[in-house]
Amino acid sequence: MANKSRQQSKTERAQALVREQQRRERTRNLLVVGAVVAAVAIIAVVMVVVQSKSDTTGDEVSAGGTPSNLTGSYNVVIGKSSAPTTIKLYEDLQCPVCRSFEQVAGQQIQTGIADGKVKVDYHMVAFLDHSSTTNYSSRSLNAAMAVLSTAGPDAFLKFHTIAYDNQPAEGSAGVPDSTLVDWAVQAGADEGEVSPLIDGNVYHQWVVNATDQMSKDKVSGTPTIFVDGKKLPDVQSGVNAVLEAVK
Amino acid sequence: MKQWIGLAARLIVGIVDVAAGAAKFPDPAGNVRQVRAFQLLPEAVVPIVGHSLPTIELIVGGALILGLLTRAFAIVGALFFVAFILGIGAAWARGLEINCGCFGSSGVPADPQRQYAIDIARDVGLLICCLWLVVWPRTRFALDNLVFPHQERLADGEQVTSTVEN
Repeated sequence: MANKSRQQSKTERAQALVREQQRRERTRNLLVVGAVVAAVAIIAVVMVVVQSKSDTTGDEVSAGGTPSNLTGSYNVVIGKSSAPTTIKLYEDLQCPVCRSFEQVAGQQIQTGIADGKVKVDYHMVAFLDHSSTTNYSSRSLNAAMAVLSTAGPDAFLKFHTIAYDNQPAEGSAGVPDSTLVDWAVQAGADEGEVSPLIDGNVYHQWVVNATDQMSKDKVSGTPTIFVDGKKLPDVQSGVNAVLEAVK
Repeated sequence: MKQWIGLAARLIVGIVDVAAGAAKFPDPAGNVRQVRAFQLLPEAVVPIVGHSLPTIELIVGGALILGLLTRAFAIVGALFFVAFILGIGAAWARGLEINCGCFGSSGVPADPQRQYAIDIARDVGLLICCLWLVVWPRTRFALDNLVFPHQERLADGEQVTSTVEN
């Protein structure tokens, strides 16, 4: 403060020191940034590999892992082929809105099928495994496919009704395989035949691929309702169109 | 004051990103379907994008919470929020019914129009937080302050001389 030149030279020395320090620190900082970026990159690659490895979507399904009595690869059409109207449904057995839809229109749809007024193209999917602690969504669809495979479309439809009537709450533990077997038997399947299929979750890979097919069909949620190929914009208009078709 | 706002911005974006990434991580197949639902990317890259998203969210979120390479990760975050806003806006404009799936997927939302507006508003807010951090990356309680101590002092002009005089 007192001596101006002393103050100045001190400032100059300080600046030189700072510049030298800056050079060293710049090199050091670059190394630190490089190390952090490299570490993050390695972690990221490992995580992405874990993600893609744990996703079996599209993996080949063995012959034994493919349900029988399907109409196409991932759907089953129920009803007389002469029925004038085709209803196409994408449903998840864990989906509460599907349950509401089935409660409002399920009975009439089944009457419509029996009367030959409609045929229903069921595209069952399972994307709500995270809604239960036991992957109920995919296990219940596996059970439905076990019923379809061993007891045919009518039994599948009965199982479908039972499953929606008894749908476990979202976030619950779902229902155990033994209950799924009970429902399957109630629907008309042979216990000895369906038990190993349900306990072994044998159609799981098919279920995964069926769910992926929904997305490739540009359907992103359930229930999605088509009447004669026309996608209804929401569930309420879907209910209306379906009830109109079965009238 | 700016450093405190920066801290808040870091934590907001960081916590949202980590929560979103953690919710997505267990369901890689679902993430791929979510990406596909936007109908913007070619099918060839849809799976890899779906598989990478949760990782990117976890890493960007984690880095921002820690305050590590804040500016760089804020830039990455900002780019992603711009992409999300464009994606949601495009889906909205084309009338696609998608649930953003940001926090794990569920069914189609009850009121998609409202959901789109909410999602875009949220992403705009998060984008603003990221841009703040791009402009003012120095924040309180950041790992950057420990890892790059000199840079901090340089930025605070007065502190440089005071350090030398000590």
